[in-house]
Amino acid sequence: MTRYSQIAGEGRDASDLPVWRSADTLDLAYIGYGLLIVALVLVSYVLGVFNWLPHDPEQIRFDLLNAPPGSAGHLLGTDFLGRDILSRLIVAIQAYFLPGLVAIVISLMVGTTLGALAGYRGGEVEVLVTYVNNLVDSFPRLVLILLVIAAFKADIYYIMIIVGVTGVPVVASLVAGKIAFLRQKHFIEAALVLGLPSHVIVLKHILWYHCGPLLVIRATIGMGEAILIETSLSYLGFGVQEPMPSWGNMVQAGANYFFQGKFWPSTAPALAILLTILGFHLLGDGLNSILEDRGGK
Amino acid sequence: MKLSALRPVTLVLSRELALTALLLLGVSFVVFVILFLAPGDPFSVLLEGQMPSHEARAGVREALGVPRTWYVQYVSWLGNLLRGNFGTSIRTGLPVFGEIVRVGLSTLYLTLGSMLVTLLIAVPIALHSSVRGATPLNRPFTLLAYLVSSLPVFWLGYVAIYLFSHKLGVFPLVSAASASADRAWLYSLLPICVLGIGNGTVSEVVRYLREELSRVMAEDYIRTARAKGASVWRHAFKEGLLIPMTEIIASKIPFILGGAVIVEQVFNWPGMGRMAWQAAQDRDFPAIMGIVMIAATLVRLGSLLQRVVYVAVNPRASKQRRGAGWAE
Repeated sequence: MTRYSQIAGEGRDASDLPVWRSADTLDLAYIGYGLLIVALVLVSYVLGVFNWLPHDPEQIRFDLLNAPPGSAGHLLGTDFLGRDILSRLIVAIQAYFLPGLVAIVISLMVGTTLGALAGYRGGEVEVLVTYVNNLVDSFPRLVLILLVIAAFKADIYYIMIIVGVTGVPVVASLVAGKIAFLRQKHFIEAALVLGLPSHVIVLKHILWYHCGPLLVIRATIGMGEAILIETSLSYLGFGVQEPMPSWGNMVQAGANYFFQGKFWPSTAPALAILLTILGFHLLGDGLNSILEDRGGK
Repeated sequence: MKLSALRPVTLVLSRELALTALLLLGVSFVVFVILFLAPGDPFSVLLEGQMPSHEARAGVREALGVPRTWYVQYVSWLGNLLRGNFGTSIRTGLPVFGEIVRVGLSTLYLTLGSMLVTLLIAVPIALHSSVRGATPLNRPFTLLAYLVSSLPVFWLGYVAIYLFSHKLGVFPLVSAASASADRAWLYSLLPICVLGIGNGTVSEVVRYLREELSRVMAEDYIRTARAKGASVWRHAFKEGLLIPMTEIIASKIPFILGGAVIVEQVFNWPGMGRMAWQAAQDRDFPAIMGIVMIAATLVRLGSLLQRVVYVAVNPRASKQRRGAGWAE
């Protein structure tokens, strides 16, 4: 992150163009795919909330067990109880959507605060924040979540608080690094000379004008992580319980049939996880390379 | 090694050791706070249904010799931890520490093996694109790394079991504990590969290694080495590959340990992750507490080891501020 300072002058030409003109086609493709996934997730979430589904997700049909995709009006087939997989996939988005947002908000707010303090104040505050970051980074996320499950209960919001807190160090160090980089810039110097109070400089000049992209990128990647954790936990049997669907418990429920050669009930939710997490990854990284790395390559 | 080179190294290492100890103290405090806040302490179980007055509860605590204030409790609990007394598991009734050491070894084997697999995938891709420059293979490789990182590891485990054990019969379909001795190591290969591929870090490892290696390849000293016909490799290896490799792997230990929880579940692997899962199911506080402590200790030891390698390779580091903080 600190390396950009030397190259910032050279990148001037490229950064005068609108970002999408100077961007790499591949990055744009990544972003396009990511946005498509985000749109799909949003639309499906709304569909699930209002219950506008092709079938009732909990309707059991013993005459149609483990049906392949496309059979009898079930676009993505049915699971081991004959329930419509597509409807279940859509409803399962509710298992992670709001909790994931909670996790993102926690890690962005706490992380930005800590990062701004460390980057702007420096000195002992920075040492303390570094300590907290390293401390939080010492815990394997999933193991810490299991501890909280054992100590309290397997509530998805408790789990997402932990996901949020364990996401703080990355945000804090990125924001602190950004601020350390921006502090050398003339506009900060000018603001200091003008005698602006530090909270104005930090909140308006640094965070508001210059950290937006960074936070959006972290939010995107954070959503991918939240989905990964939620699906892993519901796979392990914590979190959302049958008959409520979650992508993780759907994979798990299809496992027995998977080994009998009926791959689809387990593979459909696995593909949903794969494509969705991939979308959030690619969106985050694509945005990162066109918004943050400009001139850095 | 000359003495002048050795002194700063020991200095840095003692500082790192102190820092590790301080962080582990913090870890123990966090764990204690979670357990302290947890509802349903042993006393409420003991006094269940008796609706005792506040004084009666205090009396029972007094009689059992439990310190009243939280910090006295913390200190005595920490003292027990340091003596290796992690309490007894609620489920098995055995001392937790011994059990963790027993299963911890197989988890260590699994995680170290899978780190190796991750590197075996990531290093060639990173080398290819940073040494050869832009080749037509770059983009497919990068996309592949992204795809692999997004794979849900449990499903990958199913596919691997189905393909290799059911269909091809290459790997025996039994747990590592009950496998016959001559084929036991073969069985362990499958979960190791699955965790190595599916721990979700491959794309990040590739990207980090590629960035660092490309940066080093553009340095003046590499140009000089190239100009005088010396081996570029020998000059670029330490800074361009060894250090970034230890850095990224050390920082990914928590992820790999987390992935181990799932992979151990899928493959019925008798390790720490399975024990953690069982403990969370049974609300077995002492067991899960011990696992968290041990896992965090492993993470800290990994990053300590990374610092040792860094300082050993690059004695200049002792003059710099601790770099692991803000660098991404």
